Amino acid sequence: MEAPQQITSRKDPRFKVSMYEHVGVKNSWTLSYYLGHGGYQAAQKALTMQPSEIINEVKASGLRGRGGAGFPTGVKWSFMPPVDGRQRFLVCNADESEPGSFKDRYILEDDPHQLIEGLLIGGYAIGASKGVIYIRGEYYQGYQRLKQAVAEARQAGYLGSNIFESGFDFDVILHRGAGAYICGEETALMNSFEGLRANPRLKPPFPAQAGVYGLPTTINNVTSLASVVHIINNGADWFSSMGTDDSKGNKLYQISGSVERPGVYEMPMGASFRELIYDLAGGPTMAIKAIIPGGSSTPMLPFDDEHLDTPMDYGSIATKGSMLGTGGVILIPTEKCIVNATWNLVRFYAHESCGKCTPCREGIAGWMVKIYQKLVKGFGQEGDIELIEDMADKIRGKAFCPLADACLGPVQSSIEHFRGEYEYLIKNGKPMYSKSDWWSE
Amino acid sequence: MKVKVNDAELELKAGTSAIDAIFAAGYDVPYFCSQEYMSPIGACRMCLAKIGAPRKDRDSGEWIIDEQTGEPKIFFFPNLMASCTTAIMEGMVIDTLSKEVKDAQNGMIEFTLVNHPLDCPTCDKGGACELQDRAYEYGAGQSRFVFDKRHQEKHHALSELITLDRERCIHCKRCVRYFEEIPGDEVLDFIERGVHSYIGTLEDGLPSNFTGNITDFCPVGALLDSTSRFRGRNWEYDHTRSSCLDCAVGCAITIDARTGRIERIKAARNTQVNNDWICDGGRFGHEYVDADERLKTPLIRRDGKLTPSTWEEAAAFINDKLADLGAKETGIILRADATLEEGVAAKALAAQLETGQLDHFPRLAASVIPQGVRATLNDVATSDAILVLGDVSEEAPIVDLRIKEALKGVTPPELMPHGVPLADLRLKERMPRQREILTVASPYRCDLMKHAGSTLTYPAGTEVELLASLLQAANGEGEISEEAAMRLGSSPEQLNDLLKRLSGAKNPVIIYGAFVLAASEASNAVQALAKAVGAKLLAIGPMANSYGLEALAVLPSHARYSVQEMLRGSAKALIVSGLDVAKDAEAAKALKELELLVVHDSFANATTELAHVVLPAKTAYEKEGTVVNLEGRYLPLKPAPVENGQSEDFCGLVKFLGETMGTRLEGRSVRSARRLLKKRLQLDLSELSEEGYLSPAKAKAASKFKLKESYELEGNLLLTPSMIRHEQLSRNAHLHAVYGDAALRLNPADAVAQDLNDGDVVAFELQGIERQAVIKRSEAVPVGLMLLPALPEQPAALLWLEPTKLIKAAVAEVLA
Ligand SMILES: Cc1cc2nc3c(=O)[nH]c(=O)nc-3n(C[C@H](O)[C@H](O)[C@H](O)COP(=O)(O)O)c2cc1C
Ligand code: SF4
Ligand code: SF4
Ligand code: SF4
Ligand code: FES
Repeated sequence: MEAPQQITSRKDPRFKVSMYEHVGVKNSWTLSYYLGHGGYQAAQKALTMQPSEIINEVKASGLRGRGGAGFPTGVKWSFMPPVDGRQRFLVCNADESEPGSFKDRYILEDDPHQLIEGLLIGGYAIGASKGVIYIRGEYYQGYQRLKQAVAEARQAGYLGSNIFESGFDFDVILHRGAGAYICGEETALMNSFEGLRANPRLKPPFPAQAGVYGLPTTINNVTSLASVVHIINNGADWFSSMGTDDSKGNKLYQISGSVERPGVYEMPMGASFRELIYDLAGGPTMAIKAIIPGGSSTPMLPFDDEHLDTPMDYGSIATKGSMLGTGGVILIPTEKCIVNATWNLVRFYAHESCGKCTPCREGIAGWMVKIYQKLVKGFGQEGDIELIEDMADKIRGKAFCPLADACLGPVQSSIEHFRGEYEYLIKNGKPMYSKSDWWSE
Repeated sequence: MKVKVNDAELELKAGTSAIDAIFAAGYDVPYFCSQEYMSPIGACRMCLAKIGAPRKDRDSGEWIIDEQTGEPKIFFFPNLMASCTTAIMEGMVIDTLSKEVKDAQNGMIEFTLVNHPLDCPTCDKGGACELQDRAYEYGAGQSRFVFDKRHQEKHHALSELITLDRERCIHCKRCVRYFEEIPGDEVLDFIERGVHSYIGTLEDGLPSNFTGNITDFCPVGALLDSTSRFRGRNWEYDHTRSSCLDCAVGCAITIDARTGRIERIKAARNTQVNNDWICDGGRFGHEYVDADERLKTPLIRRDGKLTPSTWEEAAAFINDKLADLGAKETGIILRADATLEEGVAAKALAAQLETGQLDHFPRLAASVIPQGVRATLNDVATSDAILVLGDVSEEAPIVDLRIKEALKGVTPPELMPHGVPLADLRLKERMPRQREILTVASPYRCDLMKHAGSTLTYPAGTEVELLASLLQAANGEGEISEEAAMRLGSSPEQLNDLLKRLSGAKNPVIIYGAFVLAASEASNAVQALAKAVGAKLLAIGPMANSYGLEALAVLPSHARYSVQEMLRGSAKALIVSGLDVAKDAEAAKALKELELLVVHDSFANATTELAHVVLPAKTAYEKEGTVVNLEGRYLPLKPAPVENGQSEDFCGLVKFLGETMGTRLEGRSVRSARRLLKKRLQLDLSELSEEGYLSPAKAKAASKFKLKESYELEGNLLLTPSMIRHEQLSRNAHLHAVYGDAALRLNPADAVAQDLNDGDVVAFELQGIERQAVIKRSEAVPVGLMLLPALPEQPAALLWLEPTKLIKAAVAEVLA
């Protein structure tokens, strides 16, 4: 018998929305709503399984971390050292701060119990009795809803001791960030959680060996944990029936920029940009020249048929020279100056540099941003593009954490694809496209 | 493990960092954030190298072979790696010379300089700056950065002692890591983020006794010693490596002098003693040396007035007097930080004068040379159970740091061909500390207790009882009763735990200072306890050469000739070096009766007031000689070129006296003293290595001489050792600004009862010595106890002082 075809389009009748099923529904964030829609059944089931069975199930599903790096979640869980009596932590990274990414936000706001359930399952699987949700400071609504949800879950016994009579104890600590992108980087997040400066830590030791307070820790993105709930409910096979070879399951894609219906769309992995942009988001509202495929740090690609028909999975986007990242698609209109648009992103990264390492602190935050400012103000000089390129070479792969390279994503790709605009701006002192004031300070 | 650095193959231990492999192979790579004895963090990204290693096939376990060469195939990391945070692997290949690496280094230098002000011409670090050197060696020589540089505060006083130039900071984080990792005082951090980050404190000042070290290792001129700011360029200083004589540790120091003045003192490395650190007392305590009122010429009292003279005249004057007197009743008193060579000279002089009245001071009741197995400082740093009796942080500050080293559970690094490893991968930021191995017992709450797993504040004067109970239990001669433990401020569980911990440890150490040494019973008990639990002993003597002078027996021939007796009339003539013995009113009375009083000192004081002859003395920084530190380690002193007029050390004094007497006394020069010592010690002190020489432990005959059987064990005022040398504090302006006048510390409850407020100045007489102090209320002091810094002339002891005798200064003035 022939294996059934993989689901790679939201139009496939077999596809059903899972993680975002209840987003936008009135009172969807309450426990009674959640329970009325099958809530905490996955957890109940999971707590009757062996932890290793859960890990194997997650491994078999092919779920890769949804925080951006795409590390297989089940494999990450299996890195935890043997239980030795020390406190262990499962940390949920809800710091979502990458421009173009906003998928976690609505889970926090509209379906917080889904996250708590995922955390509970994950905590059980890795033997952690403490869950930490590190939530972006600006997500105040999400924080309020989560706080309420945690209180409700405690009250109802979904958090606390001896959950489902399984003997397993689990509770959740909520921690609000204070407005730093770097706190999304897992080790900086741990420092911040501990009350220290949010600088990334050296790896190794990896979090599984020495994470929060030096104790065994696993860290997962909100959406990774939400996915686990459905994997347990529906089985690894259900999950892996969606997507492509290296990218299984469903994923929350986000689209922003000049498009009819910007927002979050749940789709199977491997669906094309075209499906997202035209079929779901209603198409662009003006002419587009560039597409950022997966959040601001992924290199932009020209908006053309070749790229529109590229499946949005890890491998396919990589072959085009970019990355799936968080799946946060951004469209850049033709009539906006690309240098100006890039400056806006460089400014973001410069502002968010933690300052720990030299290439990022001085190269990006101290210098690159000034060159861009000089360019957009019309003071560019011959040699500036080459200078940027040379600096990028001297930064790429040399910084302490990926943030510096993240800034180079838009820088190098915009020069690669739109060098003419840079040259025009330098030569004429004004941009090729005049309507460039979207991002001015 | 075999590694290859460029063309050099070498064999190194697993766990070595790639940067140390590079240096061990004789190659260089620039670095800013790595620093010996601190955790590697990979922040500056200056030490990048191209690094690869062979891989084993997952299935077969065999090395994957490069088909072309037939050798294991080298898989290079996709990116250049920070060599400081990369551990070597079997067969690792490290390249530091390729264009790719050079380009990266060049780029990183350019980035580092983007916001650096390049004010080298006015920067104190100029000529000794790592950034200058590295930019010269690895930079392109030109910057392409055309924008305004970051502007930040350039003269930020972190404390009275340290100035921060925030523009110069290159964010290596050495200073921040230092405070957390070495003294464990988290007083500095970065503030703000990204390119706006700067070093700062949350509160005013730097509350730590070890702040100056950051000025040594700051790679640029961002952190500067305020006492020497703008006083000289690095190439103008004479650098003299010597040893600090401010306490019994004897840290290695570098004295930087220019035009006859000491401008600053820096830490020097002694891997056996102080690693790279010194305390602030030792670093900033030198300003007195250059005070205007320094005595620089011999003075002879003529017609009641001290008049300038020469050494020859003074020697002749003394000789005449001694001849009249019959020299036998001459007494000689040396300060306990006099060198061994000076000790030899003093002994030779005493022999010549046929007097047994020779002693050094301060000297406590018990011997500073432990009977038992001595601990070295490296033993302390590798110990797995430490009992501290007393306030070591004040008494011998570096011992405090070496204890904190032990708490990290990382043994001192093995030396590499290039010395201490630059990036010891065993060290981590914010390491968990094994507090449980440390027990601190003291009559008041002391600083080290913050780091201890177990602390015990026992009533002052109960050292004997505490140690006796422990000893009894250790020997199985009796349980510690609830009642006895309570009296000691402890519990039977705590004391039993302590014993269990000590006897169960592999390398237990007991450290004790003045409070135990002040009572010979306590000292005997601690030695017996050490024997019972198998611990090594580290005794902290009162001064830098207490150990050496005792070992050399610069001691009276009979108990009736001790310092106390000499000052109470046993001598008819006295030669006093370095002590203001006339502070004591009763002693002053006796001194007035002397036929001859010769004072050898650097400053005028109460004793010179009474002297017939005053001879200018060299300070510790001006002497050549040797001291023996608390471990029994011989350490060299080298003279810095200081303008000190006709000052001489005690050897010089003996030379002149001998000459007028027509004899050549042993110890008339350092060389002569060393000839004698060589015979005695089988050790040529002129060839002492920088790390010094640890004398073999010798079973020592119990000292015949005791000042007293024991100090009083009862009292309400405890004279405490302190890091600051209070006798010179008034001339050490910067230290004085931070530490203020000597404080009388007491519990707030007692202060209220006696209507004393913080800052009140009180004057009082303490066993004949007039003291003045500022009231400081402190919860660290138990009710009923007062703490006052000891002086050389009034060493650590427990005394009675009627609180009613504390007279507020305002009142005192009226009375006067
Ligand atoms: C600069 C930077 C920012 C990041 N921000 C986030 C974030 O906001 N949310 C997130 O889940 N992961 C973020 N990550 C990725 C995390 O470090 C980590 O890989 C992720 O949380 C792991 O979860 P996952 O395996 O479930 O994806 C960021 C990484 C970097 C380098
Ligand atoms: S690249 Fe360096 S400075 Fe930038 S955020 Fe990461 S660690 Fe901080
Ligand atoms: S002040 Fe000096 S030691 Fe501290 S981070 Fe800056 S450059 Fe480094
Ligand atoms: S610890 Fe002692 S020897 Fe070392 S610097 Fe301080 S006072 Fe001098
Ligand atoms: S990164 Fe600074 S020395 Fe290695």
